[in-house]
Amino acid sequence: MGTEKKEVLVSIRDLEIKFDEYVAVSNVNFDIYKGETFSLVGESGSGKTTIGRALMRIHETSKGDIFFKGKKINQKVGARLHKELIKKMQMIFQDPAASLNERATIDYIVSEGLRNFRLYKNETERQQKVREALLSVGLLPEHLTRYPHEFSGGQRQRIGIARAMVMEPEFIVADEPISALDVSIRAQVLNLLKKLQQEKELTYLFIAHDLSVVRFISDRIAVIHKGKIVELAEAEELFLNPLHPYTKSLLSAIPIPDPRLEKNKKLVVYTGEEHDYSEDLPKWKEIKAGHFVWANDAEEKRYRMQMKIG
Amino acid sequence: MQDSRFEFVTVDARVAEEIEAPSYSYWQSVSKQFFKKKSTVILLLLMVVIILVALIQPELSGYDPMNSPNINRPEMRFRGISLQYPYGTDGVGNSVWDVVWAGTRTSLLVGFIVACINTSIGVVVGAVWGFSKAIDKVMIEVFNIISSVPYILIVTVLLYTFGRGFWQLILAMCLTGWLSTAYFIRTQVMIIRDREYNLASSCLGTPMLRLVSRNILPYLLSVIMTNVSLEIPAAISTEVTLSFLGIGLNVAVPSLGRMINQYANYFNGYPHLFWAPVLTLALVTISLYVIGQTLADASDPRTHR
Amino acid sequence: MKGRDTILSIRDLEVTFKVRDRQLKAIRRISFDLYRGETLAIVGESGSGKSVLMKSLTGMLESNGTVSGGSIRFFGEELAQKKKPREWESIRGAKIATVFQDPMTSLNPVRTIGSQIVEVMMKHQRCSRKRAKQLAIELMERVGISEAAERFDAYPHEYSGGMRQRIVIAIALACRPQILICDEPTTALDVTVQAQILNLIKQLQQEEGFTTIYITHDLGVVANVADRVAVMYAGQIVEYGEVEEIFYESAHPYTWALLSSLPQLGQKGERLFSLHGTPPSLYHDIVGDAFAPRNQYAMRIDFEEEPPFFEITPTHYAKTWLCDPRVPFFKRPKAIEGLHQKMVMIYQGGNVSGNREERSFSFNSRS
Repeated sequence: MGTEKKEVLVSIRDLEIKFDEYVAVSNVNFDIYKGETFSLVGESGSGKTTIGRALMRIHETSKGDIFFKGKKINQKVGARLHKELIKKMQMIFQDPAASLNERATIDYIVSEGLRNFRLYKNETERQQKVREALLSVGLLPEHLTRYPHEFSGGQRQRIGIARAMVMEPEFIVADEPISALDVSIRAQVLNLLKKLQQEKELTYLFIAHDLSVVRFISDRIAVIHKGKIVELAEAEELFLNPLHPYTKSLLSAIPIPDPRLEKNKKLVVYTGEEHDYSEDLPKWKEIKAGHFVWANDAEEKRYRMQMKIG
Repeated sequence: MQDSRFEFVTVDARVAEEIEAPSYSYWQSVSKQFFKKKSTVILLLLMVVIILVALIQPELSGYDPMNSPNINRPEMRFRGISLQYPYGTDGVGNSVWDVVWAGTRTSLLVGFIVACINTSIGVVVGAVWGFSKAIDKVMIEVFNIISSVPYILIVTVLLYTFGRGFWQLILAMCLTGWLSTAYFIRTQVMIIRDREYNLASSCLGTPMLRLVSRNILPYLLSVIMTNVSLEIPAAISTEVTLSFLGIGLNVAVPSLGRMINQYANYFNGYPHLFWAPVLTLALVTISLYVIGQTLADASDPRTHR
Repeated sequence: MKGRDTILSIRDLEVTFKVRDRQLKAIRRISFDLYRGETLAIVGESGSGKSVLMKSLTGMLESNGTVSGGSIRFFGEELAQKKKPREWESIRGAKIATVFQDPMTSLNPVRTIGSQIVEVMMKHQRCSRKRAKQLAIELMERVGISEAAERFDAYPHEYSGGMRQRIVIAIALACRPQILICDEPTTALDVTVQAQILNLIKQLQQEEGFTTIYITHDLGVVANVADRVAVMYAGQIVEYGEVEEIFYESAHPYTWALLSSLPQLGQKGERLFSLHGTPPSLYHDIVGDAFAPRNQYAMRIDFEEEPPFFEITPTHYAKTWLCDPRVPFFKRPKAIEGLHQKMVMIYQGGNVSGNREERSFSFNSRS
């Protein structure tokens, strides 16, 4: 990812999402650049899926703005923009068992979006598009008449990917696309997502709970904790110079698949008591070019010191 | 020496994507599952026979409750069971066999028509009701008010308003009868409305009506079947109860309910008169219920694997 | 290594399920020994039979499943012949306890946490209610529930997922079992909570001296907890050995595939190694090596004859023809060569900034 000329595709400003009175997400600010993989990492209940769904306009937002290609999308949009957003923004879901309509054939599932907006001239073109989408995810055209339950978990997830790809999107929200899959299948799906990104110049928002998985596919990573993004940096930078104590605790908690390293590592526990926000309130601060952290002035000073030493 | 069995071979990755199992077909699996149960198949055959006889026999016998040709022939009253009169004859000299089939025909017609209307309206309204929060707010109040009044009371009041008669009864039973089905469907829709595959469909811009017809209703097929299998016997018993009480059908329409009412008077002397309609009624409702339940089970794809 | 005390010995175990008039062989002749005080991790993907194997040890197979062959000897007692729930009473929960993936499945949602622990205490330790309550609070404190006395009367839904799993562990330990089976105990939990639960189980194991069997698909968890590892595929153990032997000197191509598809090993811009296809259907009889159709290193013999276990070291065995001396020269996948050095590079490499102390690792050489 060259950092020189970056075209912003998605932009989130001061986003807040409420469920009734409960604030699920607040103070969220980030841009996603065209062609990159931006990962949002956090534990369950952190609000990462909520942000992804707000982007897909499934959840309503209570404050702030979401822009896609400069157009505000977290409000009622006209029919034309609605159609364009559906085409350009697609989603891949976590659970391949739950995200496919069990009573529909693969043909129906993959061409559902095409039908909704008649994105084909004739039946032959529709079939052509569906076949191409299936082939691009490594499935066979003869699968078209089958039902989802006849497939394995990995195959189902690829059907879900084909369903998104057939719309020829520019931006994809991938919500934990591999965490429900068997370990031996995960690499296959990651490779596929990477391959499609290269071929079709896609931009991904990759939502995950496992930092170690995200490292290899992401350009930039944001860590979210209890509805707030606590740190954002380029992938390697985040791994090598984590600043926020929560990021450090998350990094130390992931089991390393290496017995000598894993058996001797020390856990960093994060309680939230590390911060004294009684007077000095935290803000979203850029400590180093492209490395943001949620910190107050005192912490900012300390983080800058740390960076200098490095 | 090289052992040829220890040579590396290349395996084709494509082969691994193929599905060995024969292609799945929903309706084929449903029928396979349904006909697996012998007892149900027997009941189904029995039901077909009952329906055919109930439709044809009254035409042949020409039984008319308003016209009892043997009323002035005392020797025809309370005849015992014979080949000519399989259930004997009643107090006005009618063959009970004829009366039972004519009544069964009415009961079946009422059951099927009412269940058909109530289920169709109920499913359509329930599906939209479950989906739209705005409609839910209104409908839930309507439901609360109407469901707090006993159904049989509503039908009785309506019957007094419309007057007694076959179509009046059907109208009275359907006017509010669909509401419970709609409520049931609404709850089911709410359960599966927010499942991930529906979110996926909305991300693809699928409009609500197609979401209901392609994503929601197919999943509800089996619960709708269950509902129908309860609805038909329930409608039949409502008709019988009302006619038994003397408020359902007018005397011109043959009815099992009124038969039971009349023949109960002869229970001490001629119990078979009472038992003939009662047992026929039991046989019909139980068979319909069992067939419906088996069909409901068979239409649940979880039983197909 | 030598003179280890075997507490559980499984020989040629077969478990068959009857599914719609068809026989499904979920476990196909498995043999292994469990040594006192160790932690054995059983690794495999879903459908490999790892959970079925554990259920057969505690008589918890679904009603359509039966142990159709082989033996399970536990302190000289034959478990494979036990059929009725009553016969299992003295074993299940008492001598072999299980911690499941979802703590809610093991807890009764309408009863207080305290009463559920007390019940188990009274049943297995034969003490008064008062004494049991005292013991239960002590136990809750030991599994890391702070203010245990106050939380004694809370209901499961008032606890967080991590705390619920701690309670499940407490209940499992209430009767001082000899073997603790942990069936994906942390899969449903967040990573930071997972790390704490793993540490808790390890710490309790040191104090109580029980033996642990972990079932997991997460190689990171395996690396964390295991002394020995058994890798399962299609109802069989295909490789077992000491944890470092499995990670650094694995011999079975399936283990290689699992290790080399680890996303941690991914290099930017390069493809990860990935296994194609799916595990074989266990409805059919499997000819030869079950892994052959997915094996990059498949040989003709793999499709004809089932491989035996080859001894690599006295503690390390692999069930693959690749260990046969007749095999022509081949190289193990590049991805897993020097795995440890790679991991050190990935997790420590280029770490030049000032916060080294938090993530410092000390490296013990292999003992």
